[in-house]
Amino acid sequence: MKILTHLRSGALRSFKAWKGVLVVWVLILFLISLLALPVKSGFKSMIGSSMVSELLTDTVNIDVITDLGTGMGVIMPVMTIGLLLVLFFGFLMNVFVTGGLFSILGSNNDSKPSSRFFAGATSNFWSFLIIILTTLAMLMVTASVIGGIPIMIVRGGDAGTAEPGVVGKTVKIVLIILALMLPLFLLVADYARAWQVVHEEKKPFKAIGFGFSRTFRTLSVSYPLMLILVAFQTGFGALAASKLLSAKPDTGKAVFMFFLASQILFIIKILLRAWRYGSVTSAMEEVSDVIEVSPDQSVRDAELLQGQV
Amino acid sequence: MKRIFLLSVFCIFIVQTGLPQIVNKEPLSARQTYYKIDARLDPETKIVSGSMEAYWVNKSTDIVPDIQLHLYMNAFKNNKSTFNQDAGMNLTDKKIEFGWIDLKSLKDRKGNDLLGRMSYISPDDNNADDQTVIRILTESPTKPGDTVFIKVDFETKLPKGSFRTGYADDYYFVGQWFPKFGVYEPAGMRYATAGGWNCHQFHRNSEFYSNHSVYDVNITVPEDYVTGSGGMLLNEVKASDGKSKTLTYRAEDIVDFAWTAWPGYAVFNDEWNHVKITLLIPHIRKDQVDRQFHAVKSALEYLTKNVGPFPWPHLTFIDPPTKGSFAGGMEYTTLFTSTSSDRMFDFLHLPEMVTVHEFGHAYFMGILASNEFEEPWLDEGVNSFWEARIMDQYWGENSGLINHPLFKIADKSYSRTSYVGSPDRQVTTNKEYSWNYPHGTYAMMSYTKAATVLYTLMGIIGEETTNEVFREYYKKWAFKHPSGRDFINVVNEVVTRVHGNKFGPDMNWFFDQTLYGTGLVDYKVRGFNNTKLRDFKGIVSEADSNRFVTNVIKDDTIFKSTAQLYRPGDVILPVDVMVHFSNGDTIQEIWDGKERFKDFVYTGVSEIDWVKIDPEYKLRMDINFTNNSKTNDADMVPIRRYMDKFIIFMQYFLNLMSL
Ligand SMILES: [Zn+2]
Repeated sequence: MKILTHLRSGALRSFKAWKGVLVVWVLILFLISLLALPVKSGFKSMIGSSMVSELLTDTVNIDVITDLGTGMGVIMPVMTIGLLLVLFFGFLMNVFVTGGLFSILGSNNDSKPSSRFFAGATSNFWSFLIIILTTLAMLMVTASVIGGIPIMIVRGGDAGTAEPGVVGKTVKIVLIILALMLPLFLLVADYARAWQVVHEEKKPFKAIGFGFSRTFRTLSVSYPLMLILVAFQTGFGALAASKLLSAKPDTGKAVFMFFLASQILFIIKILLRAWRYGSVTSAMEEVSDVIEVSPDQSVRDAELLQGQV
Repeated sequence: MKRIFLLSVFCIFIVQTGLPQIVNKEPLSARQTYYKIDARLDPETKIVSGSMEAYWVNKSTDIVPDIQLHLYMNAFKNNKSTFNQDAGMNLTDKKIEFGWIDLKSLKDRKGNDLLGRMSYISPDDNNADDQTVIRILTESPTKPGDTVFIKVDFETKLPKGSFRTGYADDYYFVGQWFPKFGVYEPAGMRYATAGGWNCHQFHRNSEFYSNHSVYDVNITVPEDYVTGSGGMLLNEVKASDGKSKTLTYRAEDIVDFAWTAWPGYAVFNDEWNHVKITLLIPHIRKDQVDRQFHAVKSALEYLTKNVGPFPWPHLTFIDPPTKGSFAGGMEYTTLFTSTSSDRMFDFLHLPEMVTVHEFGHAYFMGILASNEFEEPWLDEGVNSFWEARIMDQYWGENSGLINHPLFKIADKSYSRTSYVGSPDRQVTTNKEYSWNYPHGTYAMMSYTKAATVLYTLMGIIGEETTNEVFREYYKKWAFKHPSGRDFINVVNEVVTRVHGNKFGPDMNWFFDQTLYGTGLVDYKVRGFNNTKLRDFKGIVSEADSNRFVTNVIKDDTIFKSTAQLYRPGDVILPVDVMVHFSNGDTIQEIWDGKERFKDFVYTGVSEIDWVKIDPEYKLRMDINFTNNSKTNDADMVPIRRYMDKFIIFMQYFLNLMSL
């Protein structure tokens, strides 16, 4: 089973790249903290020595937010601008570290992983940015065509007398179709990125072209491979995020443990992402016209595991 | 001539014998007015043609020279109406379509024409262009006990749906559509100094005021229309040509009659005790039917238990479709309209809130028919107070309005923050007539400030006493026309009955400061300090200590502790104070709040570690809960938790965005 081989190889590669995973985690956390820490201390100083935080135990309380009044007036614009900045730079940062991850997941290794991570992140940055933006744009266009048109047709005319549930059903069907199409886009982006990191010339559109051709040429293997990876990733992500966001630790110690747990789960989340990248890289390397690869995948995996490559 | 004679005989008969009882077992109200209307809707012209026979009985001891009626629909007649002037109507808006009411004929019981004796008056603003109130000089003054009959043929052109009334395509909500008597108030009623008609013009920021009446209404609409009204459906007859049908409705002891017609309604029925409930809702919102019935039944249950019975055996409510949203959120006692949209999240309790609110008006405005023109707080404020109590009772103390795992809003918090957070919270008092509130403060003052005032009252006198106040208010004033003063008198009576002189001889001091004042409530813990009494040796006895007593003490472990309280707000209310000591002891104090500051001093073995004013946040008018407490050890766990979650959210989101 080729799929299993790639999944196994991807898993090994991602474990091997654990330092890179940690770098990704640290960099993103650092960036978010640049906003979160000042905002946290802002709130703390607004509440000061008041006991009003007891009203926040269950949920955000608009009574308290209203009463913070002038302080909120200061903190809200800071938060809004800070949020936009973090989203912007966080996105760029993620593009950067993704370049690093892909660079250390390949089997073409002639330098130390740490230098390869940053060198790869730097050299591939613009190319990766274009690949990601293009894929996101394609995703959005597809979603609005596949989603928008049928929903508009169903809703069309007099919404008040439309058959009940039809719109809801249509939305569900559209979502299922989009979910099934998502692996294709991810495959294009991943093949493109895996191709790009092993090519000196930084040609993002050529990479995307490769992504398309490889995706559809090897669809019978690639698609189920990606479907499995996406299922794992989203399943884990959704479960972790929902559990974390609804948790209510209520003591100092519990909150600390909560933070630890949340970060461990997020590291696993990055690891799953690296698994996906590694598996796709493995699938890409299998075809020899890309780079020199050992015909025996398992030999190389063993080498990878022992750090001999 | 013969018809008029027969009509007169019929009218004399019903006045003398009392109207036949069809809906209620007994008349609930004095029934000073009566309306019988035959109405026909023409969907082509958007005109409702009506033929109305109505009367007003002079139950006062005055001799009354005239009658006054509302022609509300003329508010939409042109850009010069007081209603449209209020709104600063912009005539460049091409979508404007006017509405009006034309009196085709107006006669008295003898058939004499009254149109010549009719004039438009504008008692509120002397606007000569406003035609929403008419005065008719009757042929002879009406003596006490006499009845004035009128017969009117009218045409009401419905406006394109705007303020509660009108049409949108084939959707109709027909409210404020027929000539309607004002209320004759003799001297003494609602503290009037002289007898006279209370018949205000139609203002944008105002609702209504009417006597409780009986309505017999026949409505003819196209055959495929689904209709609903505030009446009980007695009969439905299809026209011989099959194109139209006539529905016969009867309503008793309600203050207004409105109806709706639309082919798109789905009809659902349910029951609560003796009340048969009908819901008209767009087909597409069938999945919200259970939510709507749950809301209305919860309100019925809560208000029945804590205020008084819902006396009618029928109730109809409407969830207007999106195109008819102009009709949403309005009350006509046994008919009301809710608000929703075709997709409605379960966590957002908007439809429930509107349903509970508008149903509540069956009590506060329907049964207790206060003057909404002059004292809007007495219906909207009181009703918003009950709405919030019901929402937070049935949908969660912190989640009456929104109940999402990540975000909740209590209805009572919504009221409070709307008042506390308003920059205009001190601009005027609640004494204003509804259209006189400046700077767009009508809603804040009448709804949310007044509701917050009542919550604060409940914080002082207690929940059960508050319910007792409303039970007594209902008992005393149901199917009458109470004023704010009448309500406050009931408060005074019940509070002194339950609490004696605990709050003084009456509660006027409370209402004068809060409802009828512009002052703010704000209490603050300035701080506390603990001083070690180093030189102290021996035993602390009762006499040494203000409050805190411990008998056997060694050496220098005695503290003098002071809790320093401060009242930055001008409103003086009694407040609970809680002082907590490091050894776990808690002392409960009451501060009358009369001075600007207050120190509570304690001597004892342990130090104060926190002080709270109003520890249960019962004085909801307090404009700042943050300064109500001070502690050595502030609990930042919630803040840390929210920030951790923020970090998690950002991490996952950024992860997702980079594919
Ligand atoms: Zn209301």
